[in-house]
Amino acid sequence: MRNIMLKEMKLSASPLSYFFILFGLMFFLPGYPVLCGAFFTTLGIYQGFLYAREANDIEFSVLLPVSKQDVVKGKYLFVCFIESCSLALMLAVILIRMTVLSDSAVYRANALMNANLFSAGCALVAFGLFNVIFLGGFFRTAYNMGKPFIIYIIAVFLVITLFEALHHIPGLEALNAFGFEHIGLQLVLLIAGFTAFAVMTLLSFKSACARFERIDL
Amino acid sequence: MSIAEVSNLRKEYPAFTLKDVSFSIEQGRITGFIGRNGAGKTTTIKTMLNLVHPDSGEIKYFGMLLEGHEAEIKRRIGYSTGTVSWYPRKKIRDIVSIIRNFYTTWDDDAYRKYLEMFNLDENKAPKELSEGMKVKFNLLTALSHGAEILILDEPTSGLDPFSRDELLDVFIELKRHGVAIFFSTHITSDLEKCADDIVYISNGKISAAMPKDGFMAEYSQDGESLEETILRMERSAKNA
Repeated sequence: MRNIMLKEMKLSASPLSYFFILFGLMFFLPGYPVLCGAFFTTLGIYQGFLYAREANDIEFSVLLPVSKQDVVKGKYLFVCFIESCSLALMLAVILIRMTVLSDSAVYRANALMNANLFSAGCALVAFGLFNVIFLGGFFRTAYNMGKPFIIYIIAVFLVITLFEALHHIPGLEALNAFGFEHIGLQLVLLIAGFTAFAVMTLLSFKSACARFERIDL
Repeated sequence: MSIAEVSNLRKEYPAFTLKDVSFSIEQGRITGFIGRNGAGKTTTIKTMLNLVHPDSGEIKYFGMLLEGHEAEIKRRIGYSTGTVSWYPRKKIRDIVSIIRNFYTTWDDDAYRKYLEMFNLDENKAPKELSEGMKVKFNLLTALSHGAEILILDEPTSGLDPFSRDELLDVFIELKRHGVAIFFSTHITSDLEKCADDIVYISNGKISAAMPKDGFMAEYSQDGESLEETILRMERSAKNA
């Protein structure tokens, strides 16, 4: 597994996949839908997939002495690695905003979602959607990626809009907690986001393995 | 000893069918897989490498079914898929540094030897190579991990006559070391120079699979060369 991961990182990946991790820092931006940072990270991964297709990466991988399932596993592991790096950046920013910047007027006056642990859970849901819609869709053909990416864009922006709107609904104001307010709720929502991510990724991985096994290359 | 066995492969496409393809590849022998363009050579080879799934039939290497033993088998075989280039903008050195990790049998001395023999520059990227040099790069990786059988799809296409001759000499040398070589070609002089066995495919069906001498004895008419024999057989199949 280490070898297939090294192959993903050194041969298959586009530099953009790594560079776009930095969009996790968008969680610093006030007055901006911070979850777009998660979308831009996945956009970098999508660029990497385009680059890999141009380099005949899938055919190359299948000819290596690994099973087809390992080829799929390599792609999922790499995508999860990029998403984890982006999430780590987001969490670092959230920690700064929860502590030293918790009373910052510019963030307090922000009408959009505050970058807190709930928002990190939402970012995980966005990543889960990418894994289930784009990655799962890609492994239907191991070639076509335009259609699954467009479907993902529609789904992720609907979900981002929903998450951004939630705290304006009476009774749900706690979702926009600052600092360590409602920390129990924030942690539960982060864990719920992670669970949704894990379930979507695992289900997508299983169906991608089955589909990829049947494909003629 | 049979090192690979292909039995009753069938694959149906809308405009083409591979029909009950069966043959075996013997250890220490060179098998030429000949047929005109579109006869089914590449489909057969892709099936042998699990890139294409047959509708029926089975493929065994070293007595093991390919299905279920894919990784183990692929570690012991080498392959080249003609002039397809992987990662056209990466340096050969970087591509090889990844490939070698997958093979416990990777032989650096062999790698250096073939690198020099093929005049390949490790600092070049595949997009900077001619078609012939791309074939050589594919062969370089196939030859560097002590494969017991090489499966090569048109390895001599795009090579100049000198490089082709050199490559066929490499095949003969590898054969002496017990390596089985299975290569597709539509150049009959390749077979005349080095093949021990011939598998002849025509319109998706194996017309003959036997030692070259037996093939000539059975199908060749007086004074006919191998090329003339195959051309005549192909014309008869077309007119039938």
